[in-house]
Amino acid sequence: MNDVTLILDAIARGESQASDELLPLVYNELRNLATARMLRESAGHTLQPTALVHEAWLRMVGDGSQAWKNRAYFFAAAAEAMRRILVEHARRKSRLKHGGGQQRLNIEEIDLAGTAPDDKNLLVDDALNELERVHPERARVVVMKYFGGMTNKEVAEALGIGERSVDRHWVCAKTWLFKKLSDQV
Amino acid sequence: MMEAVTEKAEEIFYSALEIKSPDERKAFLDRACLENAVLRAAVEDMLASQAKVDKFFSEGGSQSFSISELAGSLAEKPDPSGKEDATPLVDEELGKTIGPYKILQRLGEGGCGVVYMAEQEKPVRRRVALKIIKLGMDTKSVIARFEAERQALALMDHPNIARVLDAGMTQIGRPYFVMELVRGVKITEYCDQNELDTRQRLELFMNICRAIQHAHQKGVIHRDIKPSNILVTVIDGAAVPKVIDFGIAKAIEGRLTDNTIFTAYEQFIGTPAYMSPEQAVMSGVDVDTRSDIYSLGVLLYELLTGRTPFESKDLMQNGVEGLRRTLAEKEPQRPSVLVTTLHGSALTQLAHLRQAEPLKLITLLRGDLDWIVIRTLEKDRARRYETANGLAMDVQRFLDNEPVMARPPSRIYRLQKLIRRNKVTFTAGVMVALALIGGLGVATWFWYQEREARKRAVTAEHMALDAEKQQAQLRMEAEDRERITQAAFLISQNKLEEADDLVGKVSAIKPSLEADSVLRALGEWNALRGQWTQAAGRFKLLLDADQRDNSWAITEDLLKAGPIQIERGDMQGYEHFRRAALARYIDTTDPVFAERTLKICLLSSADADVMKSLEKLSEISADSMKQSGKDPTMEAWRCVSLGLMTYRQGYAPTSKYWCDRCLSYPENNPGRIATAHIIKSMSCYQLGEAAAARAELELGRDLVTAEFTKGLGAGNGGVGFWYDWLFARILLREAESMIEKPAPFEK
Repeated sequence: MNDVTLILDAIARGESQASDELLPLVYNELRNLATARMLRESAGHTLQPTALVHEAWLRMVGDGSQAWKNRAYFFAAAAEAMRRILVEHARRKSRLKHGGGQQRLNIEEIDLAGTAPDDKNLLVDDALNELERVHPERARVVVMKYFGGMTNKEVAEALGIGERSVDRHWVCAKTWLFKKLSDQV
Repeated sequence: MMEAVTEKAEEIFYSALEIKSPDERKAFLDRACLENAVLRAAVEDMLASQAKVDKFFSEGGSQSFSISELAGSLAEKPDPSGKEDATPLVDEELGKTIGPYKILQRLGEGGCGVVYMAEQEKPVRRRVALKIIKLGMDTKSVIARFEAERQALALMDHPNIARVLDAGMTQIGRPYFVMELVRGVKITEYCDQNELDTRQRLELFMNICRAIQHAHQKGVIHRDIKPSNILVTVIDGAAVPKVIDFGIAKAIEGRLTDNTIFTAYEQFIGTPAYMSPEQAVMSGVDVDTRSDIYSLGVLLYELLTGRTPFESKDLMQNGVEGLRRTLAEKEPQRPSVLVTTLHGSALTQLAHLRQAEPLKLITLLRGDLDWIVIRTLEKDRARRYETANGLAMDVQRFLDNEPVMARPPSRIYRLQKLIRRNKVTFTAGVMVALALIGGLGVATWFWYQEREARKRAVTAEHMALDAEKQQAQLRMEAEDRERITQAAFLISQNKLEEADDLVGKVSAIKPSLEADSVLRALGEWNALRGQWTQAAGRFKLLLDADQRDNSWAITEDLLKAGPIQIERGDMQGYEHFRRAALARYIDTTDPVFAERTLKICLLSSADADVMKSLEKLSEISADSMKQSGKDPTMEAWRCVSLGLMTYRQGYAPTSKYWCDRCLSYPENNPGRIATAHIIKSMSCYQLGEAAAARAELELGRDLVTAEFTKGLGAGNGGVGFWYDWLFARILLREAESMIEKPAPFEK
């Protein structure tokens, strides 16, 4: 059994500190995957996070023998890792755009409706931090759906709640986040 | 936890989303929201935003990005820590570069972040303190708020303030602040380690007050004054306190609106023991410089007694509500009382650290220091010291054995101070004086000493004031408060002209009892000199700031301000004034307030709107007269108001009745009697009784002329106050122009 499988089993046994170890592993795997893809694909090719996450799952854990519960944990971690990758990426780009040095995002410059995906990721990430304090479960739903590209069914499995609850969380959270962002702008 | 209304709104909103037909949806909303307009608006708002929400989140689940870009940026940064938010920073930060700063050494970790010593290469090579805020938060707004204050922060230049140099975002998105590097220990620790006595502690404390004053004058409020933000360094053998973290509390506190965020707040700001009552409320009441005064008071308390007025632990045990209640309602123990309650060894230890005998320490604290501390800790910020400078000066007065402002001065108290201050001189002086000229000499000499001391203090304040120019709104306010404090000083010395000059420069005030009494005194002073414009200005400032309703003093201020407007010849100003007064008291049920409002609104004939609004007040006044006999003075005045109201309504016979009734009261108040005659003369004239009108007019005029010939004085309740006489004279002019110079073609 490899590291990831061991960690996932530990999480399944309730050793919660194990999830801290999972995240960096998944993060690195996703990064490597993306880099490898870059070498294979043409420069203009676009990538879907969900594809990346699924590929990571197959490579790191394999299919079949693993309990579905483990898969849920893995996907939750992968979504969080994706979030960091995307936000990191957006920050880097924004820094380059603003001529390097310290980054200063000027919120007045951003038109909410026509926001580029990268800026959008930064905005959502910020507002999400706030949502995490107010409504942690909803925030997790957003991470998985927005950054991880997971389906309602996958999120429901990962969080151990019903699909309808997931949908409700997602709809309400989206509305809440959007209002938060519109108020800022 | 969301607020109840939000949760309810979301529930309805989510159900409504599934109803596609607009009509059905509307019917559903009608049912679900009933009459609750707030709820309905919240739901409608959410529904209306859906199209935009969906567009904005359309990439959710299928977000795509250019692979080359992403991989390229990933390759650039091989090993991000991958951890954010509440995870503590680890020392792997050492040796790293953040912006232009290279991390050298970890200095410490506080409630809100980790502080490193760092080196800056450019533009100058220097060592700085770099504070990285621990909790992942809305970094962008933190930095935006910091930027907003950056200019003000840059203006601060004071040896006891550590400069904040820069702010930015680390690579993993945490906000950081760069400050002047201060190597020192917490002020409380420094004092105890070096066993400073109370005088030395107070001297350190005054330095801090002056630093805070400097910041306030530059428009910067600290918001988080506490021992760990005041470090003491020893330079050339002298202890130099430095206030750190200026501007940071504001940048990271953000909008604190509910309990949830409060938890976060607690993590950042740390000790609630130093939080002012208005900070704890977080109701959006603006926190101003006086919040810092409160925290300074807590600091003073701790320096003196080793404890805070309320312990953090006790404050927090009943949750946020308990904290707010305690801070808003519970009076802190006076320092001397607190120390008395300490048990033997604790007290001995405390006194030992202050190089004093336990009993001596208690005696030292009792009295002046108690009062100074209590005044800084007032729940109502208007009752605290107006400025940090004012607080420092009072501490200085204590050290110099001069009377402190914090105590309402009594003659005996001042004499005690005087004797203590000049023991030898005093004894000799008393002997000589008693022997030679008796008590009068002592009094003169005493007065002279007092005046000299005051003069010195005033000069000091003058210098502090003149040294700076106006930079920002806040600073202006601080200065205005300073002027008010100074004016209060001058007034108590009977230097009204100087005080008035000073207050003439004040553009706006925050309400406080001190400001009220200063403006009231100067308004009257100007009015008695016929300086109507100035008088009107003083009362306008006062009435604009003091929006307390149901205050006896305010209705009296209105009585004064009304006639001043007319004497000034500013009929437009009066019109504006009377509408404002009416709006303020339209709902009163107090017959005295009603009577006064009637009077000030009827100094000249009013339009239909005003008359209509006044009817209710007139009824309250009239009703109260049905059960008369309780307070003849007030009733007699009520008759005047009712006489005037009914005259203006065109009910001349009723008006005559009220005037006669007014004149039947035994109390001989010439101001009131003159007014009643004058109103009666106008009513008689309206009824066609020309002779009676002239007779009444004569009676009224004689009294008014006599009063103004003798020279208008402040007056009193028995003969009429100055404003009662102005009131009479204004009506007299109206009556004269009507009865004696009837224009044939009046419009």
